[in-house]
Amino acid sequence: MTDSLPTKQVFTKGTKTYSLVEIVKAPLTMVEKGPDHTLFAFPIVAILELLLTLGMTLALLIFSLFKNAPLEELANPLVTTDPAKAPWYFMGLQELLEHMHPTLAGVILPALVVLFLIAIPYIDQDRTHAGKWFSTPRGKRITLFSAIYTAAAMPLFVILSSMFPPRELFRGVLPDLLTQSVIPGAVLFTLALLPALWLIVAQRKQTNTREVMLALFTVFIVAAAVFTLTGFLFRGPGFKLYLPWNMPNGYNPFDGL
Amino acid sequence: MTTLINFVTHSRLWRSFFRHGMPDNPLDRSLVMTTNIFFHLHPVKVNVKSIRAGYSMGLGVITLAAFISLTITGVLLMFYYVPSVERAFVNIVDLQTKVPFGQLLRNLHRWGAHLMVLITVLHMARVFYTGAYKPPREFNWGVGVILLILTLGASFTGYLLPWDQLSFWAITVGTSIASYEPFMGPIIKKILLGGPEVGQESLIRFYALHIMIIPLFMALLISLHLWRVRKDGGLAANEVKD
Repeated sequence: MTDSLPTKQVFTKGTKTYSLVEIVKAPLTMVEKGPDHTLFAFPIVAILELLLTLGMTLALLIFSLFKNAPLEELANPLVTTDPAKAPWYFMGLQELLEHMHPTLAGVILPALVVLFLIAIPYIDQDRTHAGKWFSTPRGKRITLFSAIYTAAAMPLFVILSSMFPPRELFRGVLPDLLTQSVIPGAVLFTLALLPALWLIVAQRKQTNTREVMLALFTVFIVAAAVFTLTGFLFRGPGFKLYLPWNMPNGYNPFDGL
Repeated sequence: MTTLINFVTHSRLWRSFFRHGMPDNPLDRSLVMTTNIFFHLHPVKVNVKSIRAGYSMGLGVITLAAFISLTITGVLLMFYYVPSVERAFVNIVDLQTKVPFGQLLRNLHRWGAHLMVLITVLHMARVFYTGAYKPPREFNWGVGVILLILTLGASFTGYLLPWDQLSFWAITVGTSIASYEPFMGPIIKKILLGGPEVGQESLIRFYALHIMIIPLFMALLISLHLWRVRKDGGLAANEVKD
């Protein structure tokens, strides 16, 4: 519209060509960027997404051609399988049941995990470094350290708790509430919170909320992986610990996928 | 040929379907997204940074692709499957041995389900580690957590359906975890199983949850999840300053 008018006519000297309409407090996602930083979703992004979908389908198809879904005998409520395992993604919970009271392992811990996950963005409100892996190099180091720590601490917890179960050690000495809930719960919580506590207490000056979240989430996800793998791979007949390649009675954990 | 294409695309019938021209210009490339009920969930323009493979790794797209693939194979499986303790197991055996590509169909559904659980977890980890949950995306992160729980629920309810020893005992073990909650636990278990132990009532309940209730909620929440990504300014990678 304005291109048909000569520039001089529109912007005559002394005319104010702009005005401050409103101050907006909102994410300026396009700050200092021209339109050349964006692409139309159609067709390039749409094609990329289609290719990803086709790639996934192809990989799934090839895998399905070579590996059949398991099917055992007809369900029989009178014959218990040994071991009787939940689907693999619940094996972390089933593993925890071996170490503590069912209410703690099956109800309190899962509820706390879900609450923690939903609460994360309401606790960590700082938008700095959003969209960057691990936020900062320090964040990356914290993640790496927490991951290595958890990958060592949680298997240790499983092994020690299986060798010296407090429930058996203090049977008749201490009440069940202590041996089944308070002791294993306290040990697990201390182990899980240790990296975050170290950041909050010893590194108080440098640490921000995001870094505490990085430590907590990493402990959670690596611990979940450790317990899931322990339950899925290392538990054999009688739900006892074995090496996956050394299971008795020809039991293969992968048959139950 | 060009005349024919022009004739078709300018016809009244074609124009009643598509309210935009050939998407070779900015306006039509916008209209192609905004005038389509499915595409309008998706942003019209995306930042170059947000489509870098190393950023999102396409995990969200793969999760959606797995969901669609599971819906298709799942509907096909429904043509052969009857949720009855007398027939379910026999149906599965027949499917694998008598139905053309029946075994492949079941494999696709089973391995697809495991893949979806795995990819959903990885997607959550990616969103967390890139700090993409931060405001204004906190609500969408919560929707994602609920979608993860629904994914687990969908997989768990499907696990019982083959009615073999594996599924029967996995569900027996799984539902007994739910019953440990001292107040609501036994009631939840009874509602879920429809009786004191896994039986016909449980099978029909798990079936209804698996094929209708959970997928319906998931489709609804997935739409909300995708739409919210657009409304919250696309992927968080857009906000990184160079």
